[in-house]
Amino acid sequence: MTEHRKRIGDNVLKVENITLSFGGVEALKEISFEIREHEILAIIGPNGAGKTSMLNVINGFYHPQAGTITYRGEVRSAMRPHHAAKQGIARTFQNVALFKGMSTLDNIMSGRSLRMHANFLWQMLYYGPARREETAHRRRVEEIIDFLEIQAIRRTPVGRLPYGLQKRVELARALAMEPQLLLLDEPMAGMNVEEKEDMSRFIIDVNEQFGTTIALIEHDMGVVMDISDRVVVLDYGRKLADGTPDEVRANQDVIDAYLGVPHE
Amino acid sequence: MLFFIEATISGLMTGVMYSLVALGFVLIFKASGIFNFAQGVLALFAGLTLVGLMEMFAVPGWLAIILTVGVMIALAWLIERLVLQHLVNQTPIILFMSTIGLAYVLEGVGDLLWGSDVKVLDIGLPQGASDLMLDRFNLYVEKLEVVAAITAAVLVTVLAVFFQKTRIGRALRAVADDHQAALSVGISLRTIWVIVWSVAGIVALVAGIMWGTKSGIQFSLSLIALKALPVLILGGFTSIPGAIVGGLIIGVGEKWAEIYVGSMVGGAIENWFAYVLALAFLLFRPQGLFGERIIERV
Repeated sequence: MTEHRKRIGDNVLKVENITLSFGGVEALKEISFEIREHEILAIIGPNGAGKTSMLNVINGFYHPQAGTITYRGEVRSAMRPHHAAKQGIARTFQNVALFKGMSTLDNIMSGRSLRMHANFLWQMLYYGPARREETAHRRRVEEIIDFLEIQAIRRTPVGRLPYGLQKRVELARALAMEPQLLLLDEPMAGMNVEEKEDMSRFIIDVNEQFGTTIALIEHDMGVVMDISDRVVVLDYGRKLADGTPDEVRANQDVIDAYLGVPHE
Repeated sequence: MLFFIEATISGLMTGVMYSLVALGFVLIFKASGIFNFAQGVLALFAGLTLVGLMEMFAVPGWLAIILTVGVMIALAWLIERLVLQHLVNQTPIILFMSTIGLAYVLEGVGDLLWGSDVKVLDIGLPQGASDLMLDRFNLYVEKLEVVAAITAAVLVTVLAVFFQKTRIGRALRAVADDHQAALSVGISLRTIWVIVWSVAGIVALVAGIMWGTKSGIQFSLSLIALKALPVLILGGFTSIPGAIVGGLIIGVGEKWAEIYVGSMVGGAIENWFAYVLALAFLLFRPQGLFGERIIERV
């Protein structure tokens, strides 16, 4: 926990005045914040606050109407998913977006897509360079499988796995991309206490061992306060607060809007 | 007995021809979840282009084939650019409708470019009865159908390995499964679509060559797509081996039905037998013989 805090560096990603609307509904209003190298940033807020929209803007699924995104020094008005992936942004989804008919192994291997280059002809013949490449990447994927302790389900079609394990496979696929910035959308949703503890441990390990910068959305306040270095709070598409867990916890707006005004 | 064997072989060979068409459907369905209504027209278009090139520029068959492959790849690129690109994330029914439109456009363009009369396609594939089979076993087997069978076997092997073992194959399956997730790992939908439509176009060309050599390039070629439907239902929409096995079953099935049942009901069973078989399959095994069972956790 303390180790990675020491390593926190400059901004990796900075969003400024992001405004996003769907028809008449404003999902995000002039949001600005930054993600710093090697940190774990939590984005919290009530349902419908715009958290997932924010992640979708960062990896290019949504194109905001206004504002800029600065990633590794390049200023853009919108990202595109393919380019975001190429530049080291990986993500997982709130409702698990895995390739359900494919095995765990194939799902994770698909995360290596961008790193494999054997040409089309060799691929067709599955010979020579294509085969060597496949073997090399397979080795890397096995390391990730060991890391996340999912050896036993290697060959299982992911559609058959329980939810908690699907979440873990999805994380594995994102890790296979060897990302610099990892976006996790509710990585612990629907998990029991034990599964949450496992997932928290994996997230911290990824951050510490690989130095991966992580931005995550999470509802479990205990987890958020435990693992994150900084917290951004959204509410109705606006940013309410931004700071260390302690600062955020003490912020009156946040307490009112999110952590709750006592019911009388 | 000899007659039975001959009928079976003939059925198998016709089945292979159905399989070739069904294969094109499976490819596009597997990789993009689109039922491509234009697949039959794609075969017609490929055949027309091939004959057209041979007639117009008097090039030899092999060169015309290479050129036609180029045309099919260009066509795939155009389809992605003009149609699919604008329909990302639309429901399957909308994509299906767009392929119906595509079928008519392609048919019209083919007509416009190469004319609408029946054309003879001869790229030098062996035709007529195989002497070897006739002398040795006293069996009548069409040489062309043997060529078709070998071609189909090679195609299927290559495609199956490609889909299962390679990065692009995996990317194709990934795109079929979940667009958004595929995008998030950096798979480019556009590239994948161009690749898959190109491969489907090339498969259509092979089907066009085989059918064209057999019965001439003509409009009815686009209707063999309808025969591919029961093949797909039998084999499963997502299975490459399924397309082959389904085709063989339909081919043999309709031959047998024609010979052994047809005489009892006045014939012409061959025309509808396949559809009845498909209907039975829909009732008892809707995913087909090799299709993926749909697993849904609730």
